Amino acid sequence: MGHNAVALDVRNVSKSYAEVRAVDGLSFEVRPGEIFGLLGPNGAGKTTTIRMALDIIKPSTGDISVLGGPMTEEKKARIGYLPEERGLYDDMTVMDTLVFLGKLKGLSNATARTRAETYLREVELWDARDRKIEALSQGMNQKAQFVAGTMHEPDLLIIDEPFSGLDPVNTRLIKSLLLRMRDQGTAIIMSTHQMQRVEEMCERILLIDSGQRVLYGPLEEIRRQFAARAVEVDLRGEVGQVPGVMRVSRENGSYRMTLEEGVEPEELLQRLVNMPGVTVERFERVQHSLEDIFVEVVGREVAPEEEGEAA
Amino acid sequence: MRKIWLVAAATYRRRVTSTLFLILTFGIPVLMVIAAGVAVLTQIGGGVPQIGYVDQTGELAAVSGVTVEGRTVPVTMFDSQEEARQALQAGDVGGYLVVPEDYLEEGAATYYGESSPNAVADEALIGLMRLAMLPDAPDWILSRLDDPSDVTYVAQETGERVAQGPALVLRILTPGALAMVFVLSVFTSANQMGAAVVREKEQRAMEMVVTSISPRELVSGKVLGMTLLTATQVGVWMLGAAAGVGLALLGTLQVQELSIPWRSVLWAALLGIPGYFLYAVLGAGLGVIAGDKEQARQLAGVLGFLGMGPLYFMSAIIDNLSGPLGVGLTLFPLTAPTIALFRMTLSEVPTWQLAASLGIILVCLAAAVWFVARIFRAAMLLYGQSLKPKEILQALRHA
Repeated sequence: MGHNAVALDVRNVSKSYAEVRAVDGLSFEVRPGEIFGLLGPNGAGKTTTIRMALDIIKPSTGDISVLGGPMTEEKKARIGYLPEERGLYDDMTVMDTLVFLGKLKGLSNATARTRAETYLREVELWDARDRKIEALSQGMNQKAQFVAGTMHEPDLLIIDEPFSGLDPVNTRLIKSLLLRMRDQGTAIIMSTHQMQRVEEMCERILLIDSGQRVLYGPLEEIRRQFAARAVEVDLRGEVGQVPGVMRVSRENGSYRMTLEEGVEPEELLQRLVNMPGVTVERFERVQHSLEDIFVEVVGREVAPEEEGEAA
Repeated sequence: MRKIWLVAAATYRRRVTSTLFLILTFGIPVLMVIAAGVAVLTQIGGGVPQIGYVDQTGELAAVSGVTVEGRTVPVTMFDSQEEARQALQAGDVGGYLVVPEDYLEEGAATYYGESSPNAVADEALIGLMRLAMLPDAPDWILSRLDDPSDVTYVAQETGERVAQGPALVLRILTPGALAMVFVLSVFTSANQMGAAVVREKEQRAMEMVVTSISPRELVSGKVLGMTLLTATQVGVWMLGAAAGVGLALLGTLQVQELSIPWRSVLWAALLGIPGYFLYAVLGAGLGVIAGDKEQARQLAGVLGFLGMGPLYFMSAIIDNLSGPLGVGLTLFPLTAPTIALFRMTLSEVPTWQLAASLGIILVCLAAAVWFVARIFRAAMLLYGQSLKPKEILQALRHA
């Protein structure tokens, strides 16, 4: 990554198509060595944002800085992309495809072949190297495309729904490769509807809706902002009425206590600990899942069919 | 430039090994050679024929045989056509010639036979008539009459020397043949180019590829790869045609007599190569605009029509080779190579017209590459959709 402090810097970018404003004044940045979650419902403007970042389409207004400046032909060799609308040349073999795409990214023929072999072995596709792309299963095709997008070891990797079509074993495999790239300093932008993967892998996220920024920042901070004013407590003894608690309910043997306005969880814990005959065994702030937050902010559930979004 | 070559090489390799390409490329020349072989076999088949003739002029001498290529062909003179017909039916002769009363004025005679006379019989009939008209002429005169003189034509202005016979035919036909090669190449590639771009869009690899190269490089690489493919195909066809023609003219052509009209060849290359690229880039552009292969085929048909278009004007142009239509179509970039070369078959085309035509083609080629690269950027992500005129205008303004 070199000395660039920011891999991608998007500032006040908008994109309009006729009367439609696909992206509206969007700003965010992505840093080296992080996996950045780009989230949003269908048609929110995610793919448009990605395409603008990659210089596939031009923004109507605003500035985009990639790897320390405007996009250039030379910088394209330092960027990896796995688009949502995926495809490779059906009539080429896996190896020929990877060598061709690797060479387009500036690798020499020998390096492209060596890298292709290394990565194909890693994703367990080496035995299929001489098969034509059209003869691959969906999962194999997905892995071949992942290799095509990453074998040149980019500084900035943009991946759109990287886990769609993969079984749990291959999902784990791709996930481990992405984490390794992150640890090696690659800035990774991951657009997905699989909230569980975002929670597992992303340090920071951007949630956009109708082309506008809705949530942006470290995932933990966002989750804290959305943490319910409630705690889950396992305890022995009878608690009865607890000062500062608005409502008490029991779920699976645990108490769920909703706090009154202005009461902090720490105060409640103190009161419970000081109660005679009561032993606190577990005290935990109730966390919203990312999916809960998504639904709350966007106002609707993530439907399974949203896996294949076109922004 | 390296990336353009990479795309060109990949495009070429992917297609040159396809079954359809191999069948089309090698099947047609094989058919040409077979057709030529059949023609040759028909000509040389049947051995030495026996022929007869009926003299209705009463002026011809009796001939009992003629020598053709060292072989004696037996000849029978019949008193009447009925007698000759019966001999033919009986199989005594392979055919007979009826020389009518007015032959000496009109020169027309009629041959009746089981089939068309083969090459030996044809020669024998000519020899028969010479001998029948000049029975007392010595052999050297009869032999000289076969080939009275070897005339060499010398152009007053250029000093170019062209010998009579095949060399002259080659001199006249070469520009036309080159024009036909151009038309064939354009017609072949216009279809393939559009379909190749549509296929590229359909395979959806484009979004990944354009993060590595610019649309201009991708379009240029595609056009170059497809051009090499067309060159391979047309080259094989030309070799097949040359083999076929060579086989058909076996033994009748002296290679050292041939003279190549280098000026025509030079201008064919100067106008034909960029002219071809212009068609190829426009073919790619139509593929960009088309939503699917069917649409691409229809649009390519329009381009192919333009490529063939000059042929429809040929009779009007021949009537006035240096007239406004001939000069206009020589300067119009899409018809320039064909019309200029056809005009060269029949007369000299001024160098200024050819140079102006080349300049116009190059300017249009540069504009076409710019235009196609612009709309390509806008259309490459429209899977299965065609580019509408409004979107084309937007692409030209904003891309």
